Amino acid sequence: MRLDENVNYIVSGLERSGTSMLMQMLYASGLETSFDNSRPSDESNPKGYYELAGGKIINKLMDGTFPLDEYKGKFVKITAYGLKYLPSGNYKIIYSERNIEEILDSMEKMADLKDDNREETKELFIKLNSMIKNLIQNRDDVEFLLVNYNDILSNPSINVKKIYDFLDIDDIDLEKMIDAVDKKLYRQRKI
Amino acid sequence: MAEGKDKKKYTTISIPTPLAEKIKKRIKGTGFTSLSSYATYVLREVISDIGKESKEVFSKEDEEKVKERLRSLGYLD
Repeated sequence: MRLDENVNYIVSGLERSGTSMLMQMLYASGLETSFDNSRPSDESNPKGYYELAGGKIINKLMDGTFPLDEYKGKFVKITAYGLKYLPSGNYKIIYSERNIEEILDSMEKMADLKDDNREETKELFIKLNSMIKNLIQNRDDVEFLLVNYNDILSNPSINVKKIYDFLDIDDIDLEKMIDAVDKKLYRQRKI
Repeated sequence: MAEGKDKKKYTTISIPTPLAEKIKKRIKGTGFTSLSSYATYVLREVISDIGKESKEVFSKEDEEKVKERLRSLGYLD
């Protein structure tokens, strides 16, 4: 299934907000997605991270060395902070949000440490999320779709339809996209 | 031509064409009948917020703390 080769497609959101699941969904539906195995699957992401450069794309965006042009017409995962460093271009971004307490629980589990300043961390990531959403909303070269991880798990069909409408291309395997939503991997559930 | 009504006081502003196209798509089917009416509404909202203390400013210090957290998760070197 061909995406527009003049557009950089991005899956984004805070870390642990469902970005890997979104990439899995897009990949399952037959859409062009770019990822490698530099960070193998693990307990935090049993089905894989679906990311490039071991998740260190942000560093490459910060120093201007990430070859965005090579990834036009494909989805890549760039977590929220990295969007601050997107150069001028033509972007379609699917941005995932998730219950913040679930995100923090998942971050602690992944880093294998208890956050003694959890409330401060929470405020920081809420601010970051808000700042990045404002940033991309105000860019003329960005179209974005906001989705919610918790809602995708509760209503996969409705959310898959939103993604389909947003991408505005035919011939996406919507059934496979829905099937890729694995509720068994919904851990750190708070709602 | 006689000016029977009060003089309309409007100022013309320019916005980039891609932005104008985005706005036209967004207001289709809403109560906004023109780009101008939507832009006026949004700008009024923005102006009414200016001066209020924002608690959501993302400071340099905040940014450094976020980067530290991202390093611990393996998303930054």
